[in-house]
Amino acid sequence: MPHPLLAVEDVSKSYDGFKAISNLNFYLFDGELRTVIGPNGAGKSTFFDLITGRAQPDKGRIEFGSSPTDSHDLTTLNEYEINRLGIGRKFQTPSVYVEHTVWDNLVLSLKGPRGVFASLFKRLSSTERDRLDELLKLIRLDAKRHWKAGLLAHGEKQWLEIGMLLAQEPKVLLVDEPAAGMTDEETRRTGELLISLAGRHSLVVVEHDMTFVRQIARDSQVTVLHQGTVLCEGKFDEVQSNPKVREVYLGRGKHGTR
Amino acid sequence: MMNRIARRLRLLALLSWLGAAALAFAAEAPRQTIVRAILVEDDAEKRALIGTLAGQGDDAIRTLLIAWRSDALFVYAAPDGAKIPVQLTGEKDDKDAQAALRVDNGQALQDAAGRPLRLVGGDLKAVEHDSNLRRAMKAVLDLIDLVAPDPARRIQAIQTIALAQDLSKLPLLQARQKDETDPRARRALREAIALIELKDPKSETRLAALAELKELHTLSSSDFLKRALKEATDQADRPAIAAATAALQAVDLHRSAVDFFGTLFRGVSTGSILLVGALGLAITFGLMRVINMAHGEMIAVGAYTTYVVQNVFGAGVTLPCFGLNLHLSGMNLEGAAYQWYFVAAVPCSFLAAACAGILLERTVIQFLYRRPLESLLATWGVSLVMQQLLKLMFGSNNVQVGSPVYLSGNWTVNDVLLGWNRVFVIGFGGVIVLGMWLVLTKTPLGLLIRAVMQNRGMAACMGVRTTRVNLLTFGLGSGLAGLAGAFLSQIGNVGPTLGQNYIIDSFMVVVVGGVGSIVGTVLSAFAIGGVDQVLQQYLPAWAPGLSWVPGIGSFLQNLAQDAAVFGKIMVLGAIILFLQWKPSGLFSTRSRSLDE
Amino acid sequence: MTMTPSSFRPAARVAGSELAVTAMIALLLIGLLPLLHATGQISTFTLSLWGKYLCYALLAISVNLLWGYTGLLSLGQALFFALGGYMHGMYLMRMIGDLGQYHKPIPDFLVFLGWTKLPAFWEPFASFPFAFAMVFLVPGLIAYVFGYLAFRSRIRGVYFSILTQALTYAASILFFRNNLLLGGNNGFTDFKFILGHSLVDRGAGPATMRGLYLVTAVTLLLVYVLCRWLNGTKFGLVQQAIRDGENRVLFSGYATTHYKLFVFVLAACIAALGGALFVPQAGIINPEEMKAQNSLEAVVWVAVGGRGTLVGPILGALCINLLKSWASRAYPDLWLIILGGLFILVVLFLPGGLVSLPARLAPLWRKRAADPAAVTKS
Ligand SMILES: Nc1ncnc2c1ncn2[C@@H]1O[C@H](COP(=O)(O)OP(=O)(O)OP(=O)(O)O)[C@@H](O)[C@H]1O
Ligand SMILES: [Mg+2]
Repeated sequence: MPHPLLAVEDVSKSYDGFKAISNLNFYLFDGELRTVIGPNGAGKSTFFDLITGRAQPDKGRIEFGSSPTDSHDLTTLNEYEINRLGIGRKFQTPSVYVEHTVWDNLVLSLKGPRGVFASLFKRLSSTERDRLDELLKLIRLDAKRHWKAGLLAHGEKQWLEIGMLLAQEPKVLLVDEPAAGMTDEETRRTGELLISLAGRHSLVVVEHDMTFVRQIARDSQVTVLHQGTVLCEGKFDEVQSNPKVREVYLGRGKHGTR
Repeated sequence: MMNRIARRLRLLALLSWLGAAALAFAAEAPRQTIVRAILVEDDAEKRALIGTLAGQGDDAIRTLLIAWRSDALFVYAAPDGAKIPVQLTGEKDDKDAQAALRVDNGQALQDAAGRPLRLVGGDLKAVEHDSNLRRAMKAVLDLIDLVAPDPARRIQAIQTIALAQDLSKLPLLQARQKDETDPRARRALREAIALIELKDPKSETRLAALAELKELHTLSSSDFLKRALKEATDQADRPAIAAATAALQAVDLHRSAVDFFGTLFRGVSTGSILLVGALGLAITFGLMRVINMAHGEMIAVGAYTTYVVQNVFGAGVTLPCFGLNLHLSGMNLEGAAYQWYFVAAVPCSFLAAACAGILLERTVIQFLYRRPLESLLATWGVSLVMQQLLKLMFGSNNVQVGSPVYLSGNWTVNDVLLGWNRVFVIGFGGVIVLGMWLVLTKTPLGLLIRAVMQNRGMAACMGVRTTRVNLLTFGLGSGLAGLAGAFLSQIGNVGPTLGQNYIIDSFMVVVVGGVGSIVGTVLSAFAIGGVDQVLQQYLPAWAPGLSWVPGIGSFLQNLAQDAAVFGKIMVLGAIILFLQWKPSGLFSTRSRSLDE
Repeated sequence: MTMTPSSFRPAARVAGSELAVTAMIALLLIGLLPLLHATGQISTFTLSLWGKYLCYALLAISVNLLWGYTGLLSLGQALFFALGGYMHGMYLMRMIGDLGQYHKPIPDFLVFLGWTKLPAFWEPFASFPFAFAMVFLVPGLIAYVFGYLAFRSRIRGVYFSILTQALTYAASILFFRNNLLLGGNNGFTDFKFILGHSLVDRGAGPATMRGLYLVTAVTLLLVYVLCRWLNGTKFGLVQQAIRDGENRVLFSGYATTHYKLFVFVLAACIAALGGALFVPQAGIINPEEMKAQNSLEAVVWVAVGGRGTLVGPILGALCINLLKSWASRAYPDLWLIILGGLFILVVLFLPGGLVSLPARLAPLWRKRAADPAAVTKS
């Protein structure tokens, strides 16, 4: 069995007595694209919070590393230390620097040294500039590069945040509801983008839109979270036909709408 | 020797007789008694008459008896033949004449035309006194305060006698012990007797006295015990050394207990003061997230309202009021009616500050709910304006706010001094906290307040009139500040910059308690108050321990002597360290949004 | 618009008009005023007054660096200003030598407190380089320790403001004590020499003052240039990102604590430099200078001038202080009301400060020119 890139073992977290995550086990392997679904309040975003250091688990282990010798205990690290290890996150509500231009948003996210003194004497190299131009085209904000990010539409902000995530070139991308607020066409494009990233990067994608999930999951694993634990794990079709999943999540109302 | 005992017995007899006599003669004014004693011929009767005075606490007795002993009483034969005893006082003029006061009424002696007479001592017959009479007078003088109706005076007299450690006074005190009923005075008597007995030639008596002092372990006996210990050490009197040491230890133990409870009380009362100051802030800052830098001025508004109400109840006051010299006429109430002023001032202070708060909310704060930093700055501007307005209205000097009788004075429990105003502030803090808790949890307004404070937009969508709720909440917070002002006016000075003294502390209390948590505010107020008082009490004692710090040891030692200042700084340091441990205070309210 | 290699981001490119205005102000302050003084057109008093205003401008810049650019409203900048002043003041006190009232080799207030020998920590302040280093080291160190503790536990927003205010308050009550051996509430005054030049002499005094003024003005210009440069770097980007959404910056891998600490210490040093230059020109430093109110006043300057802009704080400091000098003489009773009222108005109605005024008025102006009726409607 290969070494998991990200191993979450027996993790619990409660808020004021409410168990948001309980005894969760989760393994992510190099190059994998994992989709996580689950009803509202299942603990998906909290799960990301725990990985990225936004919240500390009450118990359990979160390890990150490509081999047993190069492994980091994420529970002891800060948000920025975790990010520097190569874990990038897109938040559920788009969070971009609203007072900065689209360009500056990307510059801030660009992979590179993050220290104070490095930032004082930082100059953009021409390759970096080319990379930014390329990203701008990819997220279709080329024409709005001098716009303040705060002025963008919701979907555009989502794209910008995806762009910022890509600019970091992380090993693991944690993507929380990327398609919310996008048109069907854009949703499809997002899906394609994520699929193209798999392999070079590892991804965990949280989404409620079942069409989208079906598109990106193809034959990779889907994890269903319910009340803070893994309800079931498997291929999309298996999961979809699982009676428990149907009962707690899919069965309620229409598919794929949220 | 026999002679002395006989004399003592006689004195005792006299004393016991006095008790009965005092009752019999109580109707007669002491001045009349003295006049009769002067005029009566028989020595025994003179002594008896003087003796009757002992039951009465009239100040004239002291003056007149002392005058008698020092040959300042004379008998003036009036032209009509009446004998009038007079006291000659004041400067002698060039004819050696002095002013004459009648003994019977203390008024100046007048001639037929009603002009005051000046008499020459040499021309008159001095009132005589022999040694027996003088002794009787002295007994009266010593006893005057011992039997004063006010127990505090009696205790004072007992302590004065004890201080002198005069063995000859012992029988007097022992006799008093039988009649004294006030428990505190009885204790003082026991202490006094034991202290005097320390001088007793018999060593058993001294040991017994030491044992008694150990049992009493009063703070005042400490110096005497130290002296006794020294004497015993000089004489190598083993048992006495042991007894004195034990007594001293008992006293020291008692002293540290007194210090401890005193500190505790002061800590709690300081905590209450902080709490009263911070509660309003706990609402405006804690619930509304508005940084009201003018909170201190709201406190000042409350304090000044108390001042105005007091003067309206009293003689009235002229306020500078922008140079207009506005005169507020008073109701000239006296006595009990006047004492009610504070009760009236409390709601007035609340209302005045609440109105000021509502005005502030409407004009400035309502635009700044989403911008806490800006609300800080704008309200600081408001605070400057208000300070200056207060200055222009009430003058830039501190004004005098008197305490009603029920808030002045002290209450001593077991040597621990409890100021009434402080006791009151503690109770008051409790009442406000309770009231606020009731308002917030049990009334519809409370529900609305909590709903709006948690999510303004959502509450508005649900049909809550958020503007009204904001207004009322801010008014409530400011009103509480006004209440604080009413009470702080009883504790410190009232001036235009009064608020500045409390604002920083109040913010600290709220921050440490956890913004938004009333329970946290209460706890942190008491914690900060307690730490502050502990430091003030014990820092001077700890200061010498600072000498180890290399280089600046003696400098730090010096500094630590300023306990109040150094204590404050250490409290701040402690707060910063505390926030390392609990960054959002004792009780934090969580939020999930990314930009909190 | 395209990127130019010389500047990090296009938005930071200097607008031509702003540069011209700044250059003109600089020329006026550095060139004209000393010239007028040298030729006797303005008195030494007036020149020193302007010198003090420029020191206040440094204080305002430090406030702006924190509040305007990093979102940290520090109410402790007056403390650093005063500390810088005290450090330089200690040097100036040593330079009095035995020319004091008591004609003893130690400062008068120490004689008054019964000292016969100089306390050890006063000893090295006879050296100007040492004192100069202390001007930065002491405030810098305090800022470092305090900032480290505050930022580490993620104290931000108003909590940071309240804590810095408490720090200032604590320091000021400390400095009021005689036991601190720094002059108690009288502080330091009656300076005689600086670097061998007389400050009081009828002949040489004015020239020394002119020199001090020039140094201040040039320092201000250099600090302005430093800020301008900082603003154009990636550091500036991060700084402003912290202001707008600190958590997001953390999740982008930046240790915001380090950035904030850097800015806080830098700002403390700038404020301290201002204080150090202030003392010889004001001729006095005492604990009044570190009152919490002074910090807030400096914030007013920035708010009125325009927070988050480079010239705003300088403009604000100069305007408000000129206004203060005039109003506190003309209407001593009303000055605080004017200041407070101005502040309320600016916060409520002109958040961008004076600097934003032209931009705000421009459309109005244009509209009026085009269609007078439209203005009344809007
Ligand atoms: N910081 C927090 N404080 C209090 N409760 C929290 C916090 N974070 C999460 N929770 C609780 O944990 C539960 C899980 O929330 P989470 O946001 O992880 O759900 P989710 O699966 O992402 O839901 P959705 O699909 O709506 O995004 C929720 O009930 C939430 O109230
Ligand atoms: Mg979620």
